[in-house]
Amino acid sequence: MAGTASSSRQRSKVAPYLMVLPALAYLAVFFVVPFWSLLRTSLSSMGGSVYLPELTFAWDFGNYAHALTLYQDQILRSLSYAFTATVVSLVIAYPLAYVIAFKSGRYKNLLLGLVVLPFFVTFLVRTLAWKTILADDGLIVRTLDTIGLLPDDGRLLSTSWAVIGGLVYNSMTFMILPLFVSLDKIDPRLLEASKDLYSSSTAAFRKVILPLSLPGVFAGSLLVFIPAVGDFINADYLGSTQTTMIGNVIQKQFLVVKDYPTAAALSFLLMAMILAGVLTYTRALGTEDLV
Amino acid sequence: MSFTANSQDNDSIATMALARRSRRQFLGGSAAAAAAALLGSSLLSACASDGGAGVAASSTPTPDDGAPATGALRISNWPLYISDGFVAAFQTATGLSVDYKEDFNDNEEWFAKYKEPLSRRQDIGADLVVPTQYMSVRLKNLGWLNEISDARVPNKKNLRPDLLNSSADPGRKYILPYMSGMTGLAYNKAATKRPITTIDDLWDPAFKGKVSMLSDMQDGLGMVMLAQGSSLENPDEKSVQKAVDVVREQKDKGQIRRFTGNDYADDLASGNVVIAQAYSGDVVQLKADNPDLEFVVPEGGGTWFVDGQVIPYTTQNQHGAEAWLNYVYDRANYAKLIAKIRYVPVLSDMTDELNKIDPALAANRLINPPESDTKRLGAWASLSDEQTQAFTSAYAAVTAN
Repeated sequence: MAGTASSSRQRSKVAPYLMVLPALAYLAVFFVVPFWSLLRTSLSSMGGSVYLPELTFAWDFGNYAHALTLYQDQILRSLSYAFTATVVSLVIAYPLAYVIAFKSGRYKNLLLGLVVLPFFVTFLVRTLAWKTILADDGLIVRTLDTIGLLPDDGRLLSTSWAVIGGLVYNSMTFMILPLFVSLDKIDPRLLEASKDLYSSSTAAFRKVILPLSLPGVFAGSLLVFIPAVGDFINADYLGSTQTTMIGNVIQKQFLVVKDYPTAAALSFLLMAMILAGVLTYTRALGTEDLV
Repeated sequence: MSFTANSQDNDSIATMALARRSRRQFLGGSAAAAAAALLGSSLLSACASDGGAGVAASSTPTPDDGAPATGALRISNWPLYISDGFVAAFQTATGLSVDYKEDFNDNEEWFAKYKEPLSRRQDIGADLVVPTQYMSVRLKNLGWLNEISDARVPNKKNLRPDLLNSSADPGRKYILPYMSGMTGLAYNKAATKRPITTIDDLWDPAFKGKVSMLSDMQDGLGMVMLAQGSSLENPDEKSVQKAVDVVREQKDKGQIRRFTGNDYADDLASGNVVIAQAYSGDVVQLKADNPDLEFVVPEGGGTWFVDGQVIPYTTQNQHGAEAWLNYVYDRANYAKLIAKIRYVPVLSDMTDELNKIDPALAANRLINPPESDTKRLGAWASLSDEQTQAFTSAYAAVTAN
């Protein structure tokens, strides 16, 4: 029966590969191929006719210099909006996730359901709803005006804060859920142990809960920050001519101006910056050891 | 000047607007579609290398035997851009079966999606398409359109003379207009507290941050250039740049709140914007909710826009498409379209047919604009590809920066 044993051993060696095959195939078709094509485009020079341009691969790093000099403002703006949005959503989401994980008792599932509920409404509609809420003639603006809290330009919509607010709102679930998961799996006995050792609630939070929830903070921040940097819907609908983000520029370059190399170079610059940011963040949080 | 002469009842205004607005709303603004197109184009370019297959070499048209059109006809049009029962009536009248799709959402998106198959002469699943004129001209210049037979479309004689003699397609051999409309200024007279008459009113500091412009190059820059005395019939980079500079200056000052597609309508309705560059038909609906809204063709001039019906050279049913065009260009049939869509008719002498349906239609100056308005309306010359590219880039440098 030696043959059977070895063939089953062989099968068990092959099985993991078979199991990752669908994911690999998916990645190959929908990530590697477009990624490769985008990379080539970003280093190509454009010639031929206007509407059927011929892209010639030419190691043309000028595209990157061109993109960077023309659009550095939008890149910086996108990074700062996304950063602010991440911090704001962390500040809002952490206490909420904490309450759901530790204090909600039998309402836990209900509260989690409520967190996910807005997702049943499409993203675009939710963003447009904010337009109505923040409208110049809307209730909020009028109320703020009455109590004299309205900023100088007399509006909330079409400002940087409206865009950041939209980014925060649309990504809130992505921050809450990872935070909740990491908080929820903290063993309550660890908290009891800290109490036994006469730690105050604050100290227990600082020494036990916070460090153990860092993987959630890390995952949540990435899930909010990365899509936010490239977002263009919020800037489009909630912003003004002064709040253009890099996503808007890339969209316009691809679809209207049709300068594919510049658009591709911008996409890569953005990717590189996000990657650098994420690596720095990983280091700072020491997350390699935690996950 | 204001449009006080308005004799229609509110119901018809509301219907009118619904159709017009829904169709135009897809212009420019659909971000999800843009994202899809982005992904699509990167995939397309990734696969472009295996092209070449499926190119049919023959370009000689088959001689017309005069037999009536038969079979199936596939039409790709803008959403809500047809009247109820129109397709069914056409099928009954001609015996053709029509596969009518409302899947034309955005000129540039459509082009990005189909330019590869069209360049390889592969069927795009439509025998008749309705792009805006500049896009139709682009397709014509690329050689991707079939000539439309005069003998098969005798009703072409009903076309407005100004459209027939357009430099976009002299004699209208390739592009038969479907609907036309005006680009002008819409404003909330309660908020502006005075009539708006010129493009300079947009730059009044009193309206700082309360003004929107169209992001489409032709619609956005056209009236600025006309006000500067530049010609749209013979535009050059210098005159375009001159207009772009003004827009940039105002944008940097914070005067211009947003560059919009059709979504200016929401901003205007909710009071975020008090003056907007606008398409004539939208204002009819907005006025139903808010009688303070007005539409003017600015004194310096406004522009026409035209959507054209074209037959791609990959059509499977040339005669069917021509039968459709002839049916649409019958005045009685066309009046039904206007009654629903409420654009400016592209056919001449529509008053009688419109009166048969509803006298309010012919009396509406946004459907039947008076001479005092039309004489101030300009139209862009058909631009070369290089011009379109240069002008679009120049304007985009302001609108997306």
